[in-house]
This record gives sequence, structure tokens and C-alpha cells, in this order.
Amino acid sequence: MALWSEERPSEDFYRVLAPDGTLVGDPPDLDDDELRELYWTMKLTRAFEDKALRMQRSGEVSIISRCRGEEATPLGAAAALSPGDWCFPLYRQRSGLVYWGVPLDRQLANLMGAEPETIDEHLPLDDATEPPVNFSPGYVPLGANLPNTVGSALTDKLNDRDTVSLTFVGDGSTSQGDFHDALNFAGVFEVPAVFICQNNQWAISVPAHRQTASETFAEKSDAYGVPNERVDGNDIFAVYEKATEAVERARNGEGPTFIECVTYRIVEHNTADEPSVYRDEEQREYWLERDPIDRYEAYLLAEGVLTDDDIDAMEDEITEEVASAVATARDVPESAPHRMFDNHLRGESWNESHQRAELQRELDGKNPFVDWTGEGFE
Amino acid sequence: MSDAHAAGETTERNLVETINETLAAEMRTDDSVRLLGYDIGPIGGVYRTTDGLIDEFGDERVIDTPLSENGVLGTAVGMAMRGERVVPEIQFMGFFYPAFGQFMYTLVKMHERSGGNVDVPLTVRMVCGGGVKSSEYHSESTESYLVHTPGVRVVYPSGPREAKGLLAASIRHDDPVVFMEHKKLYRTHREPVPDEEYTLPLDEARVAREGEDVTVVSWGAMVREAEQAADAVDADVEILDLRTLSPLDIETVLDSVKKTGRCVVFHEARRTLGLGAELTAVVNEYAFDRLLAPVQRATGYDVHFPGNQIEGEYLPDAQRAKYAIEAVMGYEF
Repeated sequence: MALWSEERPSEDFYRVLAPDGTLVGDPPDLDDDELRELYWTMKLTRAFEDKALRMQRSGEVSIISRCRGEEATPLGAAAALSPGDWCFPLYRQRSGLVYWGVPLDRQLANLMGAEPETIDEHLPLDDATEPPVNFSPGYVPLGANLPNTVGSALTDKLNDRDTVSLTFVGDGSTSQGDFHDALNFAGVFEVPAVFICQNNQWAISVPAHRQTASETFAEKSDAYGVPNERVDGNDIFAVYEKATEAVERARNGEGPTFIECVTYRIVEHNTADEPSVYRDEEQREYWLERDPIDRYEAYLLAEGVLTDDDIDAMEDEITEEVASAVATARDVPESAPHRMFDNHLRGESWNESHQRAELQRELDGKNPFVDWTGEGFE
Repeated sequence: MSDAHAAGETTERNLVETINETLAAEMRTDDSVRLLGYDIGPIGGVYRTTDGLIDEFGDERVIDTPLSENGVLGTAVGMAMRGERVVPEIQFMGFFYPAFGQFMYTLVKMHERSGGNVDVPLTVRMVCGGGVKSSEYHSESTESYLVHTPGVRVVYPSGPREAKGLLAASIRHDDPVVFMEHKKLYRTHREPVPDEEYTLPLDEARVAREGEDVTVVSWGAMVREAEQAADAVDADVEILDLRTLSPLDIETVLDSVKKTGRCVVFHEARRTLGLGAELTAVVNEYAFDRLLAPVQRATGYDVHFPGNQIEGEYLPDAQRAKYAIEAVMGYEF
């Protein structure tokens, strides 16, 4: 089996930081604090998701899709945004959410299956914890986020605002009709949007070359008149730089950009998946050597931005921060069953009212099928 | 104001004129109302419902799009999430199906999945119904697909007077709404429409005619057919015009059936799992011991909408409703 799951130009992409951490291009203009924050975010994301995986194994979390090994792509993209911008993520972009401070305890409560209303009630956002970038709820149906992103961006354009909308699409979800609708509408209306293709080369078990006969995913946007870039998705500098250029283009009224970030899903699709059934360990090992955190850490150490002691201290802090999120998420009580009826339509219809009463009778151990008049149970 | 709109000056209007004038009125009072769809601009819509609107409001309020229903709906949801009161048009309900993805994944779900934090205040204008001898997929009545789905209101006016108040209310409502426009109603019927602005509730059926013997539950273009049937039959018929199919006004249905003891559900859609199935079940569950006859369903048949030569035989009409009324009136235990 090939080391790439695609039969296309391998490392023919924009790269700043080689897999061994040496510079092969110009690094972005970031100060040491900003450089450390990117590192911290990737490390925290990985530690948090590994903890969530362990909680899945013990039954506390029902399912999780980790972005392990892909952290640089959503992080570099999201870090290019400014407060007030909009982001429409799927479910494998956690480093982007962590960067903008989407609280870990709220994320974990979500993974533990809490209803959103329960999370808002027990872990409410306030002015201090509200992320400065607007995140839509994460989308599970792949591709569905893309046309909504176009609508969001079109709204800003029509209202003469300089806000940018950024979104993500996987290699697999470029096969969805939504992808084509979105890029087509984005091109026609020249909206201030940035599309990040997080090409991790696997859609559960189907390799990237089964998604398309195009040579690259990047070139797909040519057909829609949307300029594109292809970057090393495990290189935080490369992703950040190209995303920043795209965000600036959008903000300046120059329209949308499509960026393919080449990365690799070194872990399972989610906790219900077993990759050894469909792919070779050899391929995974090849990509493990291209890990985004390892190469960035090597760079920061070599530049003196970080020391081994700094890393040790950071890891202690990260362990504490994750433990604290776990503790507060565990304190969130089970969602009340009636929450399932919340926030469908405004007002309470006859059916909603009656079915709420039926559920309550079941909860009370009473027969819910004894209203023969539609006028209630008692 | 609500139903108390009968007083005051009225003007004879058909449905096309009413839709057009109501859209214009809402766009004048709220800058966030934008229309989205294809052929809605210079041509004014294939049925002329948006005629002249691009001239008054410009191409940033009346936005012609690429030819993709899913793209229209997905873009509209994104705009609505950002606070625009978007009114996307689906030119024919038969072409809505590619947009089912955006409908199911975002339009009906965004408010709930966000725990109520994100609103989707859009109104999808859905042109539906048969009887105008058009080509395939131009005559659909598949509202059951919509009503089966939580998280969206489905509104279906039976004529211009209802349409004016229901469309204004739909556009102003913070819930997502699908507003059904039966194309046969567009130009076949004129009635006095109040000149003043008004809204109608989006969860209340209307008693279109009071009667004591039998309840006919109907909506859209079938309401007028039901009225003709009621005129022709030897029974005192009560006609309900549901107006909103989701959420259903079950109270009004039950009150009426409990009074009359007989019920006919009369709809243009196919029978199996048409809304008549749900209404029949509700009547069975909550009015069983008041029934003097089984509920009958006068509907379309379980077939694809047929070609022009025989569509008249498919479509439920006053005669079919009359047969159903006579059947339940003649039933004996």
C-alpha cells in the first residue's frame, strides 16, 4: 500500500516548516507569546481529546472523533480569524475551537450527551467566557455547513460589513452536492468566505483517491472561479499564512478562497471505527513522522522560544486544565427527559403539550394511552 | 390584529397579486427581508408573484441565484442564521427534493441543535399543486414530507384573503416556515381582500363553514372544492380550512368532529401517509365514541402525478368530496 492514500503529487504544496522542524520558507510574523499559544493549543487539544477517548472507553462519553495528528489545520485556519468573524465547523476541528476559548467543560458535556439547554443552564457563557469568534453549532452531516457559510458571508457582503465566514470540508465531503452548491454560489456572489479542505485522506475506510479523479482537491475550486492554495496541513505556519491571506482577501472584498490542507487521519474515524481492517500500519507510521506538534516543538526548541522546562510546566498546566474541565462537566446533571421537546417551534402546540404529558405519565409509571377525549388524563 | 379583519375597505384580488403586494409591504417595513431564488428578478417569477419587486428593491433584496434548490435553501439558512428574514422561493415543489438535505440538516434543526441560541427566521415559498396541465414534477402535493419533520411550520392558504395574513405572519415569525402556494389558486379565484395590513395566527384552523352533520377537514385548493360539494349535498356540512398543517390545530378538529359525529378528510396529496392518515388517527384516538361513521379519506391516488390527459381523474374535486360525504352520511352501524 502506498504511503499516501492518494495517487497524486505528494509533497507538492506550500510548506514553511519541514517535518524535522527546520524552516524551508518564511515564518509568519508572530511574537513569542503567539508562537507559544499555538503550541499550547495543539497540546491542550490533544490532551483533552485523549482524555475524552479514555472517558469513552469507560462509558462516560458516547462517541468522539479526534483531530489527533491534524491539529495544525483547524488551528492555523481559525487563528487567522478576528473577533466578530464566523466559523462553521464540522466535528474534527477541535483545535480551532480551543484556540478561541470555546470552554472545554462545555465541549466535554456535549460529548457526554448533554442536551444544549442543559449545558447552557449549568455551564452558561458570560461576557468573559463567550468566544470572541462566533461558532455555529458543529455539523455532523458532512457538507451541510458549506451552503450556510455562503449565506452567512453573503449577509455580511450585502450589509457592507467586513466580517469573514470560514468553514471546513473533508476530503470525503467534497463528494457531497452541498460542496458544489456552496463553491458555486460563493464564486457567483463573490462572498467573503474561506473554505478549508481538511484532507486527511480517509473518509472512514474509503481512501481519498476514491473520492475524486482530480489530481488535487485544491483544483476543484478552479471550476467555480474560486482561487485556491494547497498547503502542508501538518505545518502550522503554512496553514496560518495561507489562511491569513485568504481571510484578508475576503475582508478586503476580493471574494472567497479554497485551501486544501494535506494532513492524515492517524487515528480512528471515531470510537466506533477500527482502521487496521482497511489500512496498513506502515502508512500510519509514515505520517506519524510528520506530526504537526512534534515538528513545531522541534522548531520552538531550536529557536529558543521554548525550553524543555517550559514544556514540562505546560504539560502540568494542561493536565490540570483538562482535569478541571472533566470535573465541572461531570457536575452537570443528567438532562431532564422533557428537554427533548425544547426549542422546536415557539409556543406549545396541542401535540407537544399532549406528548409532554404522555412522557410524564411514562416517567411516573402511569399508562399514557388512556386519554380517550383529547382533553387530558385526569 | 388577527381574524377581526373582515371590516374595513377591501379590494378584489387574486393570489398572485396578494402574494406580490404582501411581499412588497413586508420588504418596505423591514430591510432584512430579502428574496432568494431563480427567475424571481427581471422576469418576476414564472408565475409573476415577484413581478416588479426588483425594480423597487434592487438586486440585493431580490436575488436571482444559480439553478440549485439546495444551494438556495442552504444559502438562505445561512443568511437567516445571521438575522436576515429571507424568503427563498422553490419554483416547483417537485424540484424541492434536492434541497431535502439542507431542509433536514439545517433548516429544521439549527434552532434545536443550538439549544435555542440560533434562530432561522426564513419563509420558504413553495409552489405546489396540480390541475394546470404542466409537465412532470410540476404538480406535486407532498406536504407530508414536511409535516413529518419537527422544527418547521407548514402554512397553506386556501385563497388570497387567508394568504395575505398568513404570509405576513410567516415572514415576521422567528420560526422557519414553509409557505405553500397552490398554483391553481394563483389566478382562478378572486375575492375581496382587506386593504389594511393584518396577520393571521400560524397555528389555528379556520371554520370555513359551520354545519351540524359532517366535518370536512381540508386545506389549500381543496377548500373551494369542499364548499362546492357542501352546496351540492343533502347534508349540513362543516368545513375546516386547516391553514397551518404543522403544528396541527387538533383542538378545532376534535371540537368539530365531536359536534358532527362524522368526518371526511379531503386532500389533494396521495392517500398513503397523506395528512389524512394522521387526522384519521387523531379522530380515532380522541373522538371514537362520538363517531357515527368511520372517517373517510377523499384524496389523490397512490401514484405519481399523472399526465395531462388524465390528471383531472386523479385530482380530488367537489364530486369526490360529495361521494365521501354521502358515504359517511349513509353509513349505518
